Amino acid sequence: MRLLAAVSLVILTAFSAVYAAEKKRYSIPPENSPALGLQSAPVTIIEFLDFQ
Amino acid sequence: MAAGPVVKKIMDTYKGKVRLIIKNYPYKYRDYSHIAAEASLAAADQGKYWEMHNLLLKNSPKLDRESLVTYAKELGLDLKIFTAAIDSKKHAAEIERDKKLAFDRDLYNTPTYFINGRKVVGNRSYEYLKQIIEEELKSAKK
Repeated sequence: MRLLAAVSLVILTAFSAVYAAEKKRYSIPPENSPALGLQSAPVTIIEFLDFQ
Repeated sequence: MAAGPVVKKIMDTYKGKVRLIIKNYPYKYRDYSHIAAEASLAAADQGKYWEMHNLLLKNSPKLDRESLVTYAKELGLDLKIFTAAIDSKKHAAEIERDKKLAFDRDLYNTPTYFINGRKVVGNRSYEYLKQIIEEELKSAKK
């Protein structure tokens, strides 16, 4: 029972950590990188990718 | 769905509401990451970035020089200008600049997305990305 509680706590902590990380906002300069969509769009997705 | 189709679906669904910006984060130890990034930017010079972007994602990992030239030909690019660009690593500074952005933010995986600055690591389902976009659209309206 105690083990179950401990495991649950670990999972819960891990989950909230992931969620918290996602709430943090990073600043990435768009510079002259390839872009699609309106500059005035309310949402901007910046994707770091590797074609390979 | 892989990264390409998921992002495409997002862009189609949220036309006018979402802007997509691509940063190159090629890993050093992979064979064709750098040259593929060069090819994408060389295509951009000729106004065909997204066409090349889609071809590269579709054909990955077949991204050796010869294949890249084939894709350029398929898109009707000026091959002399295209090959000169990839052979001289014309866009190396731009690619290194993107890599520095990634290093500085300790990114360890591709793709990594920043949706209005909120980090999302790795390939995600359409539903996952959609949920974040909906949240952002809601807060944008406030």
